Amino acid sequence: MANHKEVLYGLYNDEEILLDAIRHANSKHLDIMDVFTPFPVHGLDDALGLEESRLHIAGFVYGILGTMTAFGGMSWIFTREWPIIFGGKPYLSAPAFIPITFELTVLFACVGMVVTFYTICGMAPGFVNPTLDDRITDDKFCIAFKVNGASNEEINNLKAFFKDTGAEEINTKTI
Amino acid sequence: MSQHSHNININERFEFTGGLRTTLLVMIIVGVVSMGATYLFGGDDSNIRFWTNFLHNTVFFTGIAFISMFLLAAKVLAYSGWHTVWKRLLEANAAFLYVGIVLMLFVFLGTVLGWHHMYHWAFPHIAELNPELDPYCFDRIIAGKSGFLSIGFYALATFGFVGIWALCAFLYRRLSMAEDREGDESYSQHKKMKVISAFFMPFAGFTSAAVIWQWIMSIDPHWYSTMYAWYTTASWLVSAVALLILTIVYLQSKGYFSYVTGEHLHDLGKYLFGFSVFWTYLWFSQFMLIWYANNGEETIYFDERMTNYPILFWGNLLLNFILPLLILMRNDTKRKYGTLVLVACITFFGHWMDFFQMVKPGALHSSHEFHKYEEKCLGGGHHGEDTKQLGDAHKDDHGHGHADDGHGHDDGHGHGAEAQGAAGHHGGGFQLGFHFPGFLEIGTFIGFLGLFLFVMFSTLARANLVPPNDPYLAESLHHHVGYGGGNMEEHGHH
Repeated sequence: MANHKEVLYGLYNDEEILLDAIRHANSKHLDIMDVFTPFPVHGLDDALGLEESRLHIAGFVYGILGTMTAFGGMSWIFTREWPIIFGGKPYLSAPAFIPITFELTVLFACVGMVVTFYTICGMAPGFVNPTLDDRITDDKFCIAFKVNGASNEEINNLKAFFKDTGAEEINTKTI
Repeated sequence: MSQHSHNININERFEFTGGLRTTLLVMIIVGVVSMGATYLFGGDDSNIRFWTNFLHNTVFFTGIAFISMFLLAAKVLAYSGWHTVWKRLLEANAAFLYVGIVLMLFVFLGTVLGWHHMYHWAFPHIAELNPELDPYCFDRIIAGKSGFLSIGFYALATFGFVGIWALCAFLYRRLSMAEDREGDESYSQHKKMKVISAFFMPFAGFTSAAVIWQWIMSIDPHWYSTMYAWYTTASWLVSAVALLILTIVYLQSKGYFSYVTGEHLHDLGKYLFGFSVFWTYLWFSQFMLIWYANNGEETIYFDERMTNYPILFWGNLLLNFILPLLILMRNDTKRKYGTLVLVACITFFGHWMDFFQMVKPGALHSSHEFHKYEEKCLGGGHHGEDTKQLGDAHKDDHGHGHADDGHGHDDGHGHGAEAQGAAGHHGGGFQLGFHFPGFLEIGTFIGFLGLFLFVMFSTLARANLVPPNDPYLAESLHHHVGYGGGNMEEHGHH
């Protein structure tokens, strides 16, 4: 990555302490870069003021695409490309197409959403995705601030915030 | 959510007060008047319209009581916690099982004593081969099923099986009450509820299929479908969830249930959405298997409905699949009172209509059939002249003849022809009350709904709205589904 980020981060031991810390940061108008937790924390989205994910809209589009691919594909194959009579049914036998249409709808929506999600999160092949600390995937809860070009006063202010809100460790890292 | 739990009153009790009581009593009176009017002016001598309405509504509402007990048992066994704040509604719904048994007693007595002729298999002597009589009078297919389609088994299912369900509901409720009074850290009542549930689940799972076959699938006794029990149960399930949502919203509008949050309603909305799709899955599976196999005696069920009952047939899919699918697909429509209540109303009525189309066509056919049967087989002595008297029933007779005396090909072809003949027989005209619900049907529905809600609310009023000693109460009060889009509009916690 061209632009390195200098990150000041604090590690917490408990999600309730983390949530209180975030509310505290909000009240002091501190600009949180990101929060990392080992598992989904209830109420974190609200505390961070994150807007609703749009992933399901993408999922809907992929699903419709799957529906049309399956139904359109089968209709074309069985009426034009290679018409075969199955069980004395008409060429265009909608009920017989429904199960496969359903399956492809689910398949397209699932695979499409997974790929989209991984890409958005920078987890696709070719991305470099450094972690601040390995323990945030295990038992630590992390609040991170971006401190590129921050003054000493601002950094001391952030460190004081971490201490006040019960952070176990305060570290810096350039990623 | 945590802000809520400090100032809620979990000891609140629902008061079944005058206004609501009067409304429900008026609804019951409307129902009684409608049923009386149907009985007197229904327009047919065997009162088929009255009896089908009675059976239809009894089965619909008893089924909601049954599936509520089923949900209760499933949730206890699955260590579910989020439902605890509204689980008293399930207990209250299940109380209608007692009433359902009493109502079914009338249907049963009517079957035994010949008050109605909804059940073709219950025609006198239809399963007995009597060489003296016209071959029409012996139905080989019904005779083959007579071990199951019999008065004895009907009584066993209606009173034995449903009686045991009601007993389970009674014991469960009693434990739940005991937990309120003397529940402690040992959770002994909760453990006993698990035992009852562990018995109830498999027992009800198997017996409900038999009960459904007896009560409504046997209206079309020549036909059968292995998907039918699941399909019907799914219909009950969606109706029960819709009713739960409506009841919660009603109680909240009266100031109760402040701790039932958007999170709980969101999950109930997911149930409504998911089980509507599940119902459609079963509907379609049943349809497609029959369509694909293309056996006359199976396709007749759908052919009858698609040809003569197209509004019911396609309306069913519109109300119970297309509308819930499209409206509830978005996340936020499950959290808005307007859309959630709208879909709950649509699906509740839609599944009532679903049962309507399950009951009516077959029962109408049976009652037509009974007139001929009575004349030929119970009146005695004049077979041979019937073709003159019953011109358009000719095909029926022909079909039966095949099934009975043509031993080389007696595997049911005759009955396909019979049913087709009957479809032509009454397919000509639109009959209000059969092809579409009339005012009398709506009135009956209102009456049964009033009765159901009366039983439900009076049960609800006998205990705390929330079980204070339930081990999962705290989990339920803190239920959160992790949706970032804000809370229900009227219950924002900020």
